[in-house]
Amino acid sequence: MLAVTAIAIKTNDAVILTNCRPYYHFAMTTAALDLESTQWLRDLTASDTSRDEAIERLHALLLRVARSEAARRRSLSSQIRAEDVDDLCRQAASDAVMAILSKLASYRGTARFTTWACKFAIFETSVRLRRHAWRDRKVEPDESVWTRLADARPQALHRIEREQLLSALQSAIDERLTDRQRSIFQSVALDDVPIDVLAERLGTSRNAIYKTLHDARAKLRLALIDAGHGDELS
Amino acid sequence: MTKLDLDQLLGDEGADPGCDAAGELMDAYCDAVAAGRPLSPRFDEFVRHMRNCVACREDTEGLLAILRQEENSNPR
Repeated sequence: MLAVTAIAIKTNDAVILTNCRPYYHFAMTTAALDLESTQWLRDLTASDTSRDEAIERLHALLLRVARSEAARRRSLSSQIRAEDVDDLCRQAASDAVMAILSKLASYRGTARFTTWACKFAIFETSVRLRRHAWRDRKVEPDESVWTRLADARPQALHRIEREQLLSALQSAIDERLTDRQRSIFQSVALDDVPIDVLAERLGTSRNAIYKTLHDARAKLRLALIDAGHGDELS
Repeated sequence: MTKLDLDQLLGDEGADPGCDAAGELMDAYCDAVAAGRPLSPRFDEFVRHMRNCVACREDTEGLLAILRQEENSNPR
């Protein structure tokens, strides 16, 4: 543990980093890290073979995470051949390792290192699963959504109210949203197209699609309030 | 259309950090939940984003599932 105490002051069950390598010094001068996280950082920034061994361990961990996530998301992975699922998991684990190594300086120690690292593997795996499941499907408006949203046999009074609400919502979508907002709201909120799939098709990011969706929702909320449906909103 | 349908379509009103900023908090949130620690108010907007964004919610559920598996195989 001498090597670790060279960069950290040990407290009860954590270490406070005080003089880390310059590579990640700025991000973690005040972070309290558990010993295991400190060890991961030390190994991954080492200049000897312990770095290669740490990368190998990290890849093995993230491959287990990717396979576990693929198994958990059976609704998506069951549509893919088993060999392709495993190939997808290997790619996800490799890309997660690359992302982690390039972002090591941004690790702030607000979570355990392994939790922070697993997040990358989950993200890489889930994005691939969603995109793979949709790779042969077109993203196009599904007009039957309005029929599905209307209740089958509501009581007469409720039916009229719901029809008015539905009509106000349709009008707001047509009149208040920009073309891009309408297209993204229709795909993500109405047609359940995964946001990562839409981001890939439109050549943008999940965050950018979400921002447009968020703005569209805010406009629609205001439009429904203007149309006298404020009580029906949360 | 039910109120539930409307809530799902329009999301939860209020400050929402978006996918990138929520992703930055995801690991700390999952560590706190898995350890049974009380959640600080800094996660309020993160939780709202989870209600509004299916993809981020699924990713968070995935990370929590991994931590629970780990906890079951190596209790702290």
